[in-house]
Amino acid sequence: MTANAHQWALWISHTPLSVWLQHKVWVVPTSQSIHIVSVSVVFASALLISLRILGLRVSGRTVGQLVQQLSPWMYAALAVLLATGALQTLIEPRRQFGARVFWIKMALIVIVVLLTTFFVRAVTRDAHRWDSRAESPPMAKLFAVVSLALWVGIIYCGRFIGYTGT
Amino acid sequence: MNEFLTSLQSSALGMAIRGETGWDYLFPNLETLHVLSLTVVFGSILMVDLRLLGLAERSRTVTKLAAEVLPYTWIAFACAAATGSLMFISKPSTYIHNLDFQLKFLCMLLAGINMFVFHFGAYRRVQDWDAQLPTPAAAKLSGAISLLLWTGVIFFGRWIGFTT
Repeated sequence: MTANAHQWALWISHTPLSVWLQHKVWVVPTSQSIHIVSVSVVFASALLISLRILGLRVSGRTVGQLVQQLSPWMYAALAVLLATGALQTLIEPRRQFGARVFWIKMALIVIVVLLTTFFVRAVTRDAHRWDSRAESPPMAKLFAVVSLALWVGIIYCGRFIGYTGT
Repeated sequence: MNEFLTSLQSSALGMAIRGETGWDYLFPNLETLHVLSLTVVFGSILMVDLRLLGLAERSRTVTKLAAEVLPYTWIAFACAAATGSLMFISKPSTYIHNLDFQLKFLCMLLAGINMFVFHFGAYRRVQDWDAQLPTPAAAKLSGAISLLLWTGVIFFGRWIGFTT
């Protein structure tokens, strides 16, 4: 990792809070489990919405209805993901900062959250028109494919953060 | 059984997954596919359980929600089972004797039993309570137990990685 990132990681790992948490070995695996549960909420919701946009009859609901019902859960889960991720990084900063895939993951997350927020806003603002459409517009279909690809990429990056080849 | 496990472990497939034939990335890739599958399994079960508990999707009938969502649960479960089995083959004795592995499968077994009991119990009269809230106590209990057990599956599953 860069010298800067290395210094930050060292500094974080020496804070009293980090040291205290490092000694409680159950915290990281527990946090990671909550992290995975939250990933389930986000990914399953994103999958349902994307498949519906792409025309699969995944539910009797319209895109508008799915977005309205699932997006609050997605945002709540994203908050939990941020919290657990921050906790994990506080305890093991070198593990995160030293992994290139971690930084890639963060960039992908920013992109997908921005895209999702734009999409949710567009649908909510225009809910009436969305619900009466038979087929989703091309931009929506592009969003569906791109956002799914991003989520899958994020999950892949996440798994490979701790990977040291052993 | 030990002979069977040993033969699995030393099989060509087991070796490949362990990374002994030069493909180092087979196991981590299987693991990631496993995680992707389980997120769909858990997310879909979560939707149904939250509905049974009256905490989400309250405007949809239970039967409609279940009919929409459960095909995904089964497909994703098959993928999780397939990737899990392949990972298992790489170190079968290690996993079989791992407490977290055992607890994970115990949770899944209990979740299956809970599903069975619910299906032949409260669900048989679902037309009576399909659209109404709150759902009957038995349905709520099944939903709560299911949520608890599947969360356990995820927790114990994650701990396997820390204890093997």
